[in-house]
Amino acid sequence: MAAQMATRTNQKHRFTITRRQWRDWGLAALFLLPTVYVLAKIFVVPIYESAVWSFYHYNLLDGTPTRFIGLRNYQEILASSDFWVAFDRTVYFTVVSVAAELVFGFFSALLLHQMFPGRTFFRAIIIIPWALLTLVNGLLWDWIYQPGFGALSVILHGLHILGPHQDPVWLGSSAGIMNFVAVADIWKMTPFMTLILLAGLQSIPGELYESAMMDGAGFWKKLRYVTIPQLMPSILVALVLRLMGAFRVYDILTVFTGDPTTSVSYLTFNYAFRYFYLGKASAMAWFSTLFILALIVVYIWALKRNADAQ
Amino acid sequence: MLRQRDRALDGARATTAGEDARGPRARKGYPVWRKWFRARSTDLFPPFYLWVGLILLTVFTLAPFVYLFTSSLSEKQELLSGHLVPHRVTLDNYVRLFTGAGAGDFIHAIRNSVTVAVWTTVFSMVIGVFAAYAFARIRFPLRMTSLFAVLAMQILPSISILVPMYVMMRNGVQIDLPFTGVVLYQSPPLLDTVWALVIAYTTFSLPFVIWLLAGYFQTIPLELEEASYVDGCNRLRAMFQVVLPLSLPGIAATAIFTLLGAWDEFMFANAFTQTYASKTLPIAISEFIGKHGMDWGLMTAGGFIASLPPVAISLLLYRYIVSGMTAGGVKG
Repeated sequence: MAAQMATRTNQKHRFTITRRQWRDWGLAALFLLPTVYVLAKIFVVPIYESAVWSFYHYNLLDGTPTRFIGLRNYQEILASSDFWVAFDRTVYFTVVSVAAELVFGFFSALLLHQMFPGRTFFRAIIIIPWALLTLVNGLLWDWIYQPGFGALSVILHGLHILGPHQDPVWLGSSAGIMNFVAVADIWKMTPFMTLILLAGLQSIPGELYESAMMDGAGFWKKLRYVTIPQLMPSILVALVLRLMGAFRVYDILTVFTGDPTTSVSYLTFNYAFRYFYLGKASAMAWFSTLFILALIVVYIWALKRNADAQ
Repeated sequence: MLRQRDRALDGARATTAGEDARGPRARKGYPVWRKWFRARSTDLFPPFYLWVGLILLTVFTLAPFVYLFTSSLSEKQELLSGHLVPHRVTLDNYVRLFTGAGAGDFIHAIRNSVTVAVWTTVFSMVIGVFAAYAFARIRFPLRMTSLFAVLAMQILPSISILVPMYVMMRNGVQIDLPFTGVVLYQSPPLLDTVWALVIAYTTFSLPFVIWLLAGYFQTIPLELEEASYVDGCNRLRAMFQVVLPLSLPGIAATAIFTLLGAWDEFMFANAFTQTYASKTLPIAISEFIGKHGMDWGLMTAGGFIASLPPVAISLLLYRYIVSGMTAGGVKG
């Protein structure tokens, strides 16, 4: 909308730029100068450098000279099984946790949208998991998953689901870990989903439900024909935000396992700061960057569409 | 009206079933419990399912957090014998945290976390407020494109710039005049200092501040600003005397978000700080498990202490936190 207004003014004075416009542009430039300088210095230059280094053999520790090697870093990454294992696990984790967060968040939002006594209290407490430090969340779930004396084992023994002599090591295998990491992430990030969808629900008029009921719609039909179509813009935004968040998973994994092939971020971090293969790590970082950039394009498109619809 | 119709229908049903013979209560409508399974016309859930859902939601939301707290109040033997609720409550873990062998490091970590969070916030806010005003109020070419570029910077993961940032911190940061080769200031190497983290956190908090504040500024009516021009204010004075005071809640919310983001960050901290003098809380707490054995008591106590400020802030300033979340720039 604002962009349209700008074009309109431009059309009015297509050939003459007024003095006021010059003054405004000058002020804008002045106001933006510190930001542009800082962001250029600490964001644009680094991301450009990382693109350049991804084509170089650049190892800090082994004393080999830095030299241009073209696409070799990328080829090596694509040929390494570690990368593909990490990639598969990251995708698996992202899909599982975001899907579960969407379903749970959707139903929690529906619950908390309805009027009932004490609603403020219930709305407030759901923010607690989100506010917890990410790393503390990881440690807390690591504690819950401890074999023998962690809460999960204790509860399963108490319910006699596990026999008295069974004592599984929950975080034993790297493949299985992804499910347990997903549970921790679902616990922490479902509130985020809930709160975004809750905000979206406010804009659905109650009359729609009323008329759906007149047409004889039950619970599921109301969801199918009223709630979900009306909520679609919020669902899209929340979904893309969470996809981008889940794909970069790193913090929790460092707590749960020492195995860097559990996520692309972890593997990249390991290449950079365990072996100091800076060129290779830069190349691998670009896989994450491109993936997230693609999602950002979708996200901005969704935001623009929502803004236009209003 | 609709509800009246419902009631009339149900009454009719009850009559035909011959339930009115059972007394005045049944004649009034159907049995009370049935109301629990019927949604009102504008609602989705019947009360029964609503409350079942709410109880489940509450249990699943609070149980792990309560477990963190009860564990922090337990003795080591109780933790290792699987007592979910301590039979004897003790503050021993907290005492050890603040007076024990590692207390100095933990207190240092708190101080580092506060320093990093505060400086990141101050730095980002001071620079970002001007940019946000320009984006919200001044028309200039490529405005929307640049604003979306800022959003993209906010969302891109830390891993994208981690390696060059590390080298930058190792070599020291240069403040120079671009394209001239004139260096105004060359800092010493910043690895293992809190300043490395302040600079690194600015990469995501500055774009975030700009995006959020620009949104808040746009909600201030333009007429108010124009009225102040009539009174002879220039743009700068209008900004400081009209726009900023009116968006104070938004500014506060933005500052709080920036503080929380810096408080929570782990990846940069893990890469840039190795010494106790520079470690932040997440790193210090993670070291209770792993590096120095497995002290679950210390971990849960430390984790609870570190989580208390963000949890308390989120509960107290709930409305602002949610408005910031739905503004769409929060890293999910």
